[in-house]
Amino acid sequence: MFDPALFKLPGMRRLTVILALLAVVEGICIIIQAQFLSVAIVGLWHLKSLATILQPMLIFAIAWTGRQLLVVFKNWLMYPIVEKTSGKMRRQVMQKLYQLGPSYVAKTGTGNVVTTALEGIDKVQTYLMLVVIKVIDMMVIPWVILVYIAWLRWREALFLLAIFPLIILFMIILGYAAQAKADKQYVGYQRLSNHFVDTLRGLPTLKQLGLSKQYAHNVYQVSEGYRKQTMAVIKVAMLSTFALDFFTTLSIAVVAVFLGFGLINGTITLLPALVILVLSPDYFLPLRTFASDYHATLNGKNAFADVQKMLALPVPTDRDQLGEQPLAWQADSTLSLKQVDFSYDDQQPALKQLDLVAKGYQRIGIIGASGSGKSTLINLLGGFLSPMPGHGTIEVNGQPVSHLGQTAWQQSFFYIPQNPYLFHASLAENIAFYQPQAGLSAIGQAAEKAGLTAWIKTLPDGLNTQIGEGARGVSGGQAQRIALARAFLDDSRKILLFDEPTAHLDIETEAELKQTILPVFEHHLVFFATHRLHWINQMDYVLVMDHGAIVEQGTPAELAAHNGAYGHLRDEMVGAI
Amino acid sequence: MKAFFETFKHDTWVMPYLRKYKKLLALTLFLGLMTFFCGSALMFNSGYLISKAARHPYNILMIYVPIVLTRAFGIGRPAFRYAERITSHNWVLRIVSDFRKKLYQAVAKHAVAIRQNFQTGDVLSILADDIDHIENLYLRTVFPTVIAWLMYLMIVIALGYFSWWFGLLMLLMLGLIIIAMPLWSVLINGARESQSRKIQQTFYTQLTDAVMGLGDWLISGRKTDFYDRQTAPIDEIARLRRADHRFQWWRDFTIQLLFGIICLALLIWSSFYWTTNQASANWIAAFVLSVFPLVDAFQSVSQGVSEWPSYQRSIRRVNALDTTPVDETDQTVLTEQFSGLRVADLDFQYEAGTRPIFKKLNLSLAAGEKLALLGPSGTGKSTLLKLILGDLTPTSGSIQLNDVPISRLQNERAKLFGVLDQQPYLFNTSIMNNVRMGNPDATDAQVKAALKAVELAPLIEGLPDQYETVVEEGGARFSGGERQRIALARILLQDAPIIILDEPTVSLDPITESHLLATVFRVLQDKTILWVTHHLAGINYVDQVRFLEAGAFDMAGTPQELYATAPRFKRLYDLDQGHDEV
Ligand SMILES: Nc1ncnc2c1ncn2[C@@H]1O[C@H](COP(=O)(O)OP(=O)(O)OP(=O)(O)O)[C@@H](O)[C@H]1O
Ligand SMILES: Nc1ncnc2c1ncn2[C@@H]1O[C@H](COP(=O)(O)OP(=O)(O)OP(=O)(O)O)[C@@H](O)[C@H]1O
Ligand SMILES: [Mg+2]
Ligand SMILES: [Mg+2]
Repeated sequence: MFDPALFKLPGMRRLTVILALLAVVEGICIIIQAQFLSVAIVGLWHLKSLATILQPMLIFAIAWTGRQLLVVFKNWLMYPIVEKTSGKMRRQVMQKLYQLGPSYVAKTGTGNVVTTALEGIDKVQTYLMLVVIKVIDMMVIPWVILVYIAWLRWREALFLLAIFPLIILFMIILGYAAQAKADKQYVGYQRLSNHFVDTLRGLPTLKQLGLSKQYAHNVYQVSEGYRKQTMAVIKVAMLSTFALDFFTTLSIAVVAVFLGFGLINGTITLLPALVILVLSPDYFLPLRTFASDYHATLNGKNAFADVQKMLALPVPTDRDQLGEQPLAWQADSTLSLKQVDFSYDDQQPALKQLDLVAKGYQRIGIIGASGSGKSTLINLLGGFLSPMPGHGTIEVNGQPVSHLGQTAWQQSFFYIPQNPYLFHASLAENIAFYQPQAGLSAIGQAAEKAGLTAWIKTLPDGLNTQIGEGARGVSGGQAQRIALARAFLDDSRKILLFDEPTAHLDIETEAELKQTILPVFEHHLVFFATHRLHWINQMDYVLVMDHGAIVEQGTPAELAAHNGAYGHLRDEMVGAI
Repeated sequence: MKAFFETFKHDTWVMPYLRKYKKLLALTLFLGLMTFFCGSALMFNSGYLISKAARHPYNILMIYVPIVLTRAFGIGRPAFRYAERITSHNWVLRIVSDFRKKLYQAVAKHAVAIRQNFQTGDVLSILADDIDHIENLYLRTVFPTVIAWLMYLMIVIALGYFSWWFGLLMLLMLGLIIIAMPLWSVLINGARESQSRKIQQTFYTQLTDAVMGLGDWLISGRKTDFYDRQTAPIDEIARLRRADHRFQWWRDFTIQLLFGIICLALLIWSSFYWTTNQASANWIAAFVLSVFPLVDAFQSVSQGVSEWPSYQRSIRRVNALDTTPVDETDQTVLTEQFSGLRVADLDFQYEAGTRPIFKKLNLSLAAGEKLALLGPSGTGKSTLLKLILGDLTPTSGSIQLNDVPISRLQNERAKLFGVLDQQPYLFNTSIMNNVRMGNPDATDAQVKAALKAVELAPLIEGLPDQYETVVEEGGARFSGGERQRIALARILLQDAPIIILDEPTVSLDPITESHLLATVFRVLQDKTILWVTHHLAGINYVDQVRFLEAGAFDMAGTPQELYATAPRFKRLYDLDQGHDEV
């Protein structure tokens, strides 16, 4: 019921003690309030005048006010911690997200990631705010009240005491059932948002397949599935509320009847009887408020566990083996990989026994069949993937590193991925994404190099045109050239990782672009994965990949000389047309 | 108030459902009312019971009725409450399912231009945020408020029956709690609630955009920027929430004080009204005790109502979505077999005042013909395909299949066209399901054959889950070329007379590419094919080649003719071969 992880939050232990003490005071207030209200009522019952009950009424009013003030005070104490915890958690989630990177998102789903970071943490906040105070109240106030009732009359107290564990037992049993169901529901919720985002992103494809109308039904079904899961939780959770309600209300009824008999028999007078009757709902109240939000609590608890789980995911460590400043890559710098293996699933290696030395301002082409591992290699070089530990060595300038996700290394290269993403921002901001402080004229020049100027001139807002999702569309080749322009913007990064940067361009545009790209390659270490073999003539060195291994490497002339995989590709290309 | 009614003026999301499920709604309200009634009645009855018992009646039967009633109310309360909770949740969740579907339909209407019209984060926030909030609108605002008001009415009338002035006093006091306080809450807190909602919503869009482009953020190394941008709203929201919470605490405190005063007022009234004789004095405890269970019912009204502005925002947002059904009256079907596609005098521009993409473009394609469309990046090849599909409407000119305008064949599209987009999307499900989307009736064997045709069979069969491997979001589990081929397999399964391919072999190496083109043209040999390509591999498979340049066709002819007569074509050919002396 009480999550141990909660106690690990900073400041929580001390707060728990304070809250418990306040709960005792609150319990005493409740008793005073009940006592003096009863005194007043009994006074009237004895047909006394209003003047005689003014004093008890006043005391009642003070106790009542005091009790309410305590409630505010407890919230006031609790809130800063909750606020700090949830704010911190949100920040941690963002940091973690940045560390985990896109592969985590691909596995978990965009919808899920976003809702966890936003809705999830909101739920955590509500949960924290509710649960701690409620649990403490539940563990303190009833006992304070019970002691007083026992002092008045032990028989009713014994009955109330006996009923308490029974209720708790019921709640625990039902709680477990509800918890199991709620876990499922939470998973269902994540599936729902993932499903929706997935559907949205694929909507044009659905339409083309003629499925977009039918899919409305699909969305409904998934939603109904979620409804059924939610209802299952609610039924059980509410059943526990029901059981609780049932027992408490019935107990009050029983106590009332008990007292009635006691009064008839003359074993008790009206005042204590009335006090007991007034106190018995308050005896159960903490338990009831706890249970009434039980459903919300369960969701919050799951969200809390979920966030904790994400935060506990392992991330690459040792990111500072090359220091924290960007590398100064020079003509004599080296990068070497020896016998490096990489695997996506820790079972089958996706890259095998990589041997590779890159020196100074070399231009290295990477070619190979689709699925042979070019992108994987580039991602490994970019440090977005880490090699299998203990398999081979990587050295930068002779300094061994365990992976290339080094802060220093990553600040020294530009990377154009196979499918660049355009942000919902202006064209200029998109081009300057890696270099946000760049001036407009520099951006214009970069766009010029990427062959975008003619197109930009036709846009009414020029470089300030909004592009990306929810804004003006661009053609496939334009998107790719915008990504290329990013790399043209700045000359300080001396390493370039290009993954098929011209795949979406027609031959003519590509040929024009080649003229502007090639000068950029001077004084850079370039890794260039491509299917367009004419680039190979401009490379100093070529890696030919096949099934995750480098099967051939050498200068283009060397490769052309002996009839291997490269020659084969080349022949095929000529024959194909 | 005016704003309140305006919200519902053209509402299609809230009111219709209230009307549609009127009976269930009435039931929910009744059950809620009974819950609180029983709660109060129990304490009322118990108070009376012990007061009466304390007079030592000579016979137990004298208090028999209250005893039985006590038990009845004791059981009634939880039972009603349970029933109420279940009905109301079920009701609301059912509506929410309808909502989701409706939301999807509203968005799906703009399927083609979805990337221009919506941001994923926006729609996600409608889904996760707004729809959930409309759910809460019922559970937290509508039901509790109506129930409390009904309760209020009953109490005031009941008390007024005993003494009109006290009834009037309670009308005032309780009115303060369930009318004045909520209004005050809306005034003070409403702006804050809707402000924080607004921030939350931008947070959604921003974060979604960032998550989808996370790779680029990573590469850019702009770690601090990323944090700053994503955490900027955090403090803002926290500040609003803090103020919000503070307000709530003190408001609830005030409400409690009012209840305390009501208690005292009851005592004072009783001292005048019920102290005439012993029998009537038995009622005092009853009246006073019955107040406490009401606190629950009345207190939640203020909170519920103060959340109204944020719900109002959500309602406005969903209502702003265009949900009018598409006019389908002019839709027809193609009665004979497809015999030809004709584009005549086509003019097109995306928005008025922007550069025209096409000027008087003409094109005709007979059934069974294959056409390759080339042209520089950004000339409008993909745009032409969208026009032909009817996803975009020409500014002037016509596009017809067998003399029927394409705009009237929209319901038939999937039967007429098989389309491979420039950015085909793979759904986060198994390979099998993804490919089968091309033709839901295809057998497993046919799906596998299609995957074999795109040369993926060896790869897939080597995976642990084989054909059931999940492709992950956007197909992230596979390489660029593999994704492209899975999408292509989908098209091979589709049984449509016209096949439209927008760069089907992008991201493929020359060998796979040439194999694949051979397969495509073999499998689809009796179909009409419109193929956008960027280079000349496989160009000999087609009957016609068109070059699109500056809104018109620059070159046209068979590949052989062009090779012989057009120097530009020859140059392209050379470029493609890797002889790049431009
Ligand atoms: N996230 C992943 N999990 C598991 N396997 C993967 C993942 N991404 C890629 N693979 C597999 O690794 C292999 C190499 O993929 P990679 O993306 O490196 O190919 P590529 O050479 O870039 O191909 P292409 O030219 O088609 O882009 C492929 O068989 C692919 O299915
Ligand atoms: N939704 C849109 N709104 C406004 N302009 C657009 C939109 N979509 C595309 N454009 C513009 O229309 C022109 C033609 O785009 P289209 O996508 O048809 O080019 P394409 O010939 O397919 O190019 P590519 O070979 O690069 O894919 C481009 O300049 C593009 O920027
Ligand atoms: Mg790749
Ligand atoms: Mg295009």
